Amino acid sequence: MKDLIKKLTETISPSGYESVIREIITEEIKDFADEIHVDALGNLIARKGSGGKKIMLAAHMDEIGLIVNHVDENGFARFSPLGTFLPHTLVGARVRFLNGTYGVVGAEYLKPATQTKLAPLNKMFIDTGASSPKDSPVKIGDVAALERPFHDLGKRLIAKSMDNRISVVILIETMRKLKKTEHEVYFVFTTQEEVQVRGALTSAFGIAPEIGIAIDICPVGDTPDSAKKEVSLGKGVSIKIKDPLMIADPRIVNWMIKGAEKAKIPYQREVSSLGSTDARAIQVAGAGAMVGGISIPCRYVHSPSEMVDYDDVKNTVKLLIALLEKKIKL
Amino acid sequence: MKTEFLKSLLSSSGLSGFETPVTELIKEKWTSLTDGLSESSLGSLHGLKRGSGKESRPSMIIATHMDAIGLIVSKISGEFLHVANLGGIDIRVLPGQAVTLHSERGDLPGIIVQPPAHLLPEGEAKKAVALKHLLIDVGFSAREVARKIKIGDTVSFATEPTEMSGGLLAGHSLDNRASLAALTLCLEELQSREHIWDVWAAATVQEEIGHMGASTSAFQIRPDLAIAVDVTFAKGPGASNWETFDLGSGPTIGLGAVNHPFLHEQFKELAEKLEIPFSIEILPGRSGTDGDDLQTSAEGIPTIVISIPIRYMHTPVEVIATKDIQRTARLLTEFIAMLDADFLEKIVWDD
Repeated sequence: MKDLIKKLTETISPSGYESVIREIITEEIKDFADEIHVDALGNLIARKGSGGKKIMLAAHMDEIGLIVNHVDENGFARFSPLGTFLPHTLVGARVRFLNGTYGVVGAEYLKPATQTKLAPLNKMFIDTGASSPKDSPVKIGDVAALERPFHDLGKRLIAKSMDNRISVVILIETMRKLKKTEHEVYFVFTTQEEVQVRGALTSAFGIAPEIGIAIDICPVGDTPDSAKKEVSLGKGVSIKIKDPLMIADPRIVNWMIKGAEKAKIPYQREVSSLGSTDARAIQVAGAGAMVGGISIPCRYVHSPSEMVDYDDVKNTVKLLIALLEKKIKL
Repeated sequence: MKTEFLKSLLSSSGLSGFETPVTELIKEKWTSLTDGLSESSLGSLHGLKRGSGKESRPSMIIATHMDAIGLIVSKISGEFLHVANLGGIDIRVLPGQAVTLHSERGDLPGIIVQPPAHLLPEGEAKKAVALKHLLIDVGFSAREVARKIKIGDTVSFATEPTEMSGGLLAGHSLDNRASLAALTLCLEELQSREHIWDVWAAATVQEEIGHMGASTSAFQIRPDLAIAVDVTFAKGPGASNWETFDLGSGPTIGLGAVNHPFLHEQFKELAEKLEIPFSIEILPGRSGTDGDDLQTSAEGIPTIVISIPIRYMHTPVEVIATKDIQRTARLLTEFIAMLDADFLEKIVWDD
């Protein structure tokens, strides 16, 4: 799986510009799906199996990015964010544009009094090495994402866009390993999650599943000054009970927990005060669905270096297979 | 007013996302009052009271959310529990409250405590202590807590409903179970009334989180008209401006974007004719009720928000004048009975 994680996390394909990543995923899954289509918002929808319950698994394939809104007279490109960035992790970061251009995100700290303050995003700029709009390799509307290589630390892995390419890898691996299922399972690689969960809403409306599960990363509470939250890296699959915008259906939570216990897969119970996932949109699309979330604990979310634990990744695949193989009683 | 049913609802938990206990009580009550009950995928309860009009008659939904605000265990620290909020809870009144923790092994009594001032971060003790610093104590040792309590266990207010002087009732979750009592009273009145339209009584889930139940139920039922019944702010300490209403001054009829102007006029005229006291509630944008999502569900539904004034909203001691519940029920009943088969054609957005 690590090769695929490297390949997907080193791909640049931000929210609204998912065609690059979609092509790579399509290539990976085409032999394992009964049917594949792409909907109007660019969601990649692959069905496997029929009968039983109609289940939608969603992993968003977009990543946070930057879009140029102005190139000034000296060639510096100002940008708007596609998704949420943490300003303190952006200054000094390198970016790569879809057209191949590299750049560095800069900000000025000219007055001593403001040196300790964070520059807001609208005071930052991308330096592409240009010195005028004319010789700038990027123009208004050009899109970039963070540029960072994948690093394998053994048990722990670091990359940009672990959010949410790690879940994309998990879904691909689940499709490969799931030999049989009694259910009609839709593996959906959604678009535009980072810009208010847009792809999941339309794909869920189209599929109208009974059960919806979002696979995504979740912030952890195991770093020195983290929020009061119990989830830690490497302690197992995180089963979502609540995040600020979504309460998982208790029937789904129970099903997941029983499934994990039966298959002896380590799991953690997640009540999160930060972030939300595709589940929130699947829950309210059309007449609604019973939803839940399976999260991969992740440190330094939305920074250029997001860290996950490889055991958690493998366990998530195991849990999904354990859940999908069997009859479902809720 | 008979308050037994309402008081049973106020003694139940049924927090947002965990509504089952209160759903059961409503089911029991609505079975004989409706022609059939069903549940949405999210757990909203739908009771259909069939109209007398000929087939493919128009239908309406009356949505009253049944969920209540509360807390949920987010982290365990030894003997104490950290909690997150389910819905917008008023943190100023939390320290010292008696609560019930709902664990897999049954309900446990507990209390909400705040650490002493010198143990809080600087400045924190001078204002309402943030939820992240508050703890729940159920009396267990750290070992027992680890064994018996889980992340995700819910915590509800233990305050029992209290009938006070002047026909007032105090309790937690009057928001919005007072409206459920009004809708139930309306269903009772409809037993002996002729009505042409189908009426879908809906006890919706997760209003306090973002009206998830209202949008999905309306999409599933596809009614021709929608009424959200909820509570609004009664005048009280620190709440006395034009946005508030005298306690016991009757229901409010919404006016503003979410409220269809024709329905607003109809309700106003009807209340005047019946001599039911009422106020007009200006809701310029979103109403903060199920109405917001009823209106925009599917192709859109003409919607009106009717509210009952309560004091001390989102605290364990919300207060209502029970006569306003009766007035709201009567207004709903008379509106339903008034609807003729071609009422729909009259609903034109003419402001």
